[in-house]
Amino acid sequence: MKLFEFAREREWVPITGYLIYVSALTAGYYYNLTFVQLGLTDLGTQKIGMPPGDVSIVMAILALLTLVAAVVSGVLMDRRGWSTDLYVKFRLLFLIVLTQLILTVAAPHVSTIELFVLWVIVCSIALGVGIPVSFSFMLDFVPVRDRGYVAAVVAGLSFFVAALYPIEWRIDEFSLVMSAMMVPAVLVLAILSVKRFRFVDTLASQHERDAFGTGRFCRPISVRTASFAFWGPVLLMFGVFFIDSLGFLRIIETTLYIYTSWQSPDLSVRLFIAVLHVVGALAAGVIYTNFDRNWLFLWVFGLFAFTHLLYVFHIQFGAGDTPPLVLPMFYVLAVSFYTTLNFALWPDLSTPETIGTHTALGVGIAGWLATFLSTSLALYSEGIGLSLLSHLTYVNALALLFVVTLPVLLYVHRMVELARGGLTP
Amino acid sequence: MNLELIPLLIIALLMISAGGADVETTEFVIEGDHEITEHRGALIVGDATVTVPADEAVSGPVYVIGGEFRVNGTIEGDVTQLSGSLVVEDGATIGGELQHISGSEELSTEATITERTTVAFESSEPGPIAAYTPFVLTTLILALGGTWLSRKHELLLDTVGAAAQDHPLISLTVGALLSVTFLSVFVFMAFTLILLPVSILGLLVGLVTVAYGIIALGYLAGQQLNTPRVGLATGFGVVVVMVVLQVIGAIPILGDLIAGGLLLTGLGAVILTYFGLQEFEPVSLPE
Repeated sequence: MKLFEFAREREWVPITGYLIYVSALTAGYYYNLTFVQLGLTDLGTQKIGMPPGDVSIVMAILALLTLVAAVVSGVLMDRRGWSTDLYVKFRLLFLIVLTQLILTVAAPHVSTIELFVLWVIVCSIALGVGIPVSFSFMLDFVPVRDRGYVAAVVAGLSFFVAALYPIEWRIDEFSLVMSAMMVPAVLVLAILSVKRFRFVDTLASQHERDAFGTGRFCRPISVRTASFAFWGPVLLMFGVFFIDSLGFLRIIETTLYIYTSWQSPDLSVRLFIAVLHVVGALAAGVIYTNFDRNWLFLWVFGLFAFTHLLYVFHIQFGAGDTPPLVLPMFYVLAVSFYTTLNFALWPDLSTPETIGTHTALGVGIAGWLATFLSTSLALYSEGIGLSLLSHLTYVNALALLFVVTLPVLLYVHRMVELARGGLTP
Repeated sequence: MNLELIPLLIIALLMISAGGADVETTEFVIEGDHEITEHRGALIVGDATVTVPADEAVSGPVYVIGGEFRVNGTIEGDVTQLSGSLVVEDGATIGGELQHISGSEELSTEATITERTTVAFESSEPGPIAAYTPFVLTTLILALGGTWLSRKHELLLDTVGAAAQDHPLISLTVGALLSVTFLSVFVFMAFTLILLPVSILGLLVGLVTVAYGIIALGYLAGQQLNTPRVGLATGFGVVVVMVVLQVIGAIPILGDLIAGGLLLTGLGAVILTYFGLQEFEPVSLPE
């Protein structure tokens, strides 16, 4: 790892970069996992008294607005040159965190549907702008060699903490805790936004170094936005997020499966899930760093296919018993795998000139658009009375389809390349 | 699920398959406390406490491979006990054959059992020689295999050994992921009964691959002897690895973790190098 090299040579500034990246991204992703995803549902259903279906529609709108905000801000960042200006990105992050702080403090006081919708719109704009800003920090702080491991640490840590805390989601308490944690971050970012520091100057120029700026898949030729090399992974990641969200939305609504999920009242189950998230993320980090990315995609789709097969099997033959932990185990492994991939992939498909656009399109389309569509579809399937078994069978079929499509696509792509280059003896 | 249950589960499924039972109605109870009433079809009792209440009847056959099976009511078919605990209470009825192979049993004299057979094995607490015979035999076979392989195809072991030595983290990760996934897939396949032969074959291939990994680790250990007699060195190295695995297992938790880590590293290295046919090179990343 490059980190060990820095430590051996006592280069503390690059090490500070690692720390800033891990802290910022872990906190941001934890906030997204808990406050945004759990919080919206709780706020809408418990505080305001909206039906769960209506809250899901609001969540889908949040996803769509986030995508729009991410793409607009990402393109703007690249065109204005903000993607390579660390001080501008600190200022933007300061505004984002400040907005989120205000939203977090305001959340317990939201009492009407109108206010709730307004809260969601502001939240989605902050989240959207946050995507290219935070994801592009990787080219400033993390050398290409270590991106898989650092992404694994971020994914593992945020899932670990989110699985253990909060145990019971009460918006008033949680708002207070989150606000208290966000205030120091806002203060630090405020200082970094207005005052220049020598170590920040060093960090700000790191993207010009060969080890940092240009992503792994942009060497020797950078990946163009309008290319198969970019849209292929977008499509695959879209498939991953879509499959996960489509299956998960129905699974967590089934009382039987709550006992072996994130929301289990049993602490030992949550601890098991938390530890497994870390192990899964680290394994994904090792595979991402040492193998071609397609192997990781294959693992993710394979794991999802097998996971849903297990759930389908349990629904059919489980006789209503509490499912064994092997079911969430494979789910957790798959989620940790693709989350790690998501953190590392988009910066590695970018150069300092394209990172804003690529991360916004990648995370926006693959993450948020997929969530929007899968939420809508899950609501539809629930609305027409589709059983959990049938629903998961469809999800499983989709996962299997991706398992088969990926090698076929790669093979065809290679054939096209060979055909273009002419036949070799 | 307790990993030790897997061989017994496979045996139970084989017996169900041979008996012509319907897989769709087979139920496998893995954990927790359960009361079974009116179940039609085969039942496998794993790491769970399963009770058939009085005045209730299940069709069977029932296979006890772990946990506790308590009968107060009626089992219409056969009961086969491969492990675990079987308790047949006063007034309970077993309409078929009760076959005891292993495990503890407590049968009430007031219970009605149509037919009872016991498959007798040697003493359940063997002496030290008998206890270590399987280990010694396995070690001997692996050492001989290692000796032969290193003499005839040294390059294969060299390639696997290099992967395990130079890339232990990658080997361990790949070994762990593959073993967890494929073990689950093969157990899952066994439940379909149709794929039972594939499941058994897969588990056997897995065991052979693990054995190959041990031989490669033994080859690495033998290299430390710096002797030109590579066959002898590998054989000796395999013995050392096997003894280390056995001894280290005596340390609670940590010992098992280290032993498991070694085995998985060997397994991963074998897979990464296509059984030694190709050197493993991680993708090249900018320095």
